[in-house]
Amino acid sequence: MERDPFEIYESPHLKTPSLIVGWQTQDVGKLGSKVIDFLKEKLAGREIAEIKPLGFFSFGGVRFKEDLVQVPESKFWICEKNNLLLFKSDEPEFGHYKFLNALLNFAERHLQVKELYTLNGTISLAPHTNPRRVLTVFNQPEIKNRLKNYELEDMTWEGPPAISSYLLWVARRRGISGVSLWPEIPFYLGPREDPQAVKLTLSFLNRRFDLGLDLGGFDLEIKDQNEKIAQLRRENAEINQYINLLEKGHRLDEEGQLKLAQEVYELLGKEE
Amino acid sequence: MGIKLYKKPKLENPMMFVGWPGIGNIGLIAVNTLKSIVRAEEFGEIESWDFFYPRKVSIREGLLEYLEFPNNKFYYQRLEKKDLIFFVGEEQPTEGSRMYARGEKAYKMANLVLDVGLKFGCQRVYTSGACVSPIHHQMKPRVCAVMSSERIVKEVKKYRNTILMSEIEGRKEGEGVITGLNGLLLALAKKRGLESICLMGEIPDWLSGVSLPYPKASKSVLEVFAEILGIRMDLSFLDKMEGQIEEIIESFYSKFPHEMKEEYDQRKSVAQAKPGTVTIQAQIYIDDRFKKGGDEGGERPI
Repeated sequence: MERDPFEIYESPHLKTPSLIVGWQTQDVGKLGSKVIDFLKEKLAGREIAEIKPLGFFSFGGVRFKEDLVQVPESKFWICEKNNLLLFKSDEPEFGHYKFLNALLNFAERHLQVKELYTLNGTISLAPHTNPRRVLTVFNQPEIKNRLKNYELEDMTWEGPPAISSYLLWVARRRGISGVSLWPEIPFYLGPREDPQAVKLTLSFLNRRFDLGLDLGGFDLEIKDQNEKIAQLRRENAEINQYINLLEKGHRLDEEGQLKLAQEVYELLGKEE
Repeated sequence: MGIKLYKKPKLENPMMFVGWPGIGNIGLIAVNTLKSIVRAEEFGEIESWDFFYPRKVSIREGLLEYLEFPNNKFYYQRLEKKDLIFFVGEEQPTEGSRMYARGEKAYKMANLVLDVGLKFGCQRVYTSGACVSPIHHQMKPRVCAVMSSERIVKEVKKYRNTILMSEIEGRKEGEGVITGLNGLLLALAKKRGLESICLMGEIPDWLSGVSLPYPKASKSVLEVFAEILGIRMDLSFLDKMEGQIEEIIESFYSKFPHEMKEEYDQRKSVAQAKPGTVTIQAQIYIDDRFKKGGDEGGERPI
């Protein structure tokens, strides 16, 4: 029999915890990473296991980003007090089905996880001044029904699947109910961060799991980001016009989208 | 990793025909067409999720409906003279961004295909693909053969319009590589005691990197299939597709400068032993829309 590809540092006893999964590859607005990191920090998450990378990532060299070596990671943390299991990972390059099963094998066999939440940002053509919506995908009608009072919006989509949809499908085959949260992120904030989408996602989790999190810190980040963009609008008439158009519900042509995305990317990179 | 059989037909020493996508989809079109002509019936599949990333998801009003994976299906038919099993795969399992099968997954899938063949008493497997050759696109493609044992050579030599790889101009040693699942299946079949034959339709070398089907070569392979099975096949329904593809290829050819055309046209009268400069130069005249990326596949001399 093939051995499970994970390494367990600790086997804690939780009572059917919920599993929250964030992906740090193609992480639009860094939503998955930011939410998991925040929960880890505020809920005293403790690292308990990891999925070993061999067989899922190529080791023909090493990737580096902004001069720093990037090593693929797939780690589990527990937040004992809140009965949560967190998982943050790079998306595997191959062996997806095996990887997703390894994730659920650990969660189900060792911790009896019964409910799954995945975190992803989805690109929106709406401006940053609009309120965000959280689009959702459920793998069973029952969980959809359980979460009907949470102001979530149904997603409808046909096309190439994200890894979260694949995970939901694998979970359904194993009888684990799950939902993917897809908060909208304005396209020009996608390559940087969107504190408003992060806060919205955390607000949902806060309410769902009664976490008692103080999310006030995000208001400052949101205010700061909004002010910077407002300043850019005052200084750059073209950018102001693009955002005005978005606010009136118009779509920008490709050139306009690129220009706006580039200017905001540079603006928000200055203070990072 | 699973095989799912919906029914267990009673078959007597069936022959197995296997098709996957590849250069010009020559093998896939040939095997799929044969399967349709004999009206083969689906009886099983290899579960896809161990091998492929899903290609489509359907989400409606917030509910995940289904994921769609490439199909890998088995079909069967009992003909008067011979029982047949078909396996048709919509993609080759691979690792990373490669286009053609390679690695552990390919090895596993090839073995699963053979598991089903052996379960039903199969003794012989045919695969089909492309033979990249320095031929002219206006010529009728020949069928090049590689087989598992000396014992079958005599039989294969009798097939019409078919030559052994060692008989191809410039390939006296008959050495080369059959990449992807066609090659792997041939090897594993031999290892597991089955006779195996790969029938490859010729495709002009300069068209091997073009993302177009090459039904002309599939037709040549199908004619050999018909001979093997002793059946008559009306392949006229492939004429329309062949005509459309010919039109596109002729449009590339019409752009060749005069001198290059002259050199290339020699291929019609003198069999070429090796690719010439025209092989490389002709790529320039292929419309970008039809150029494909990825690694090379097909069958090439060492």
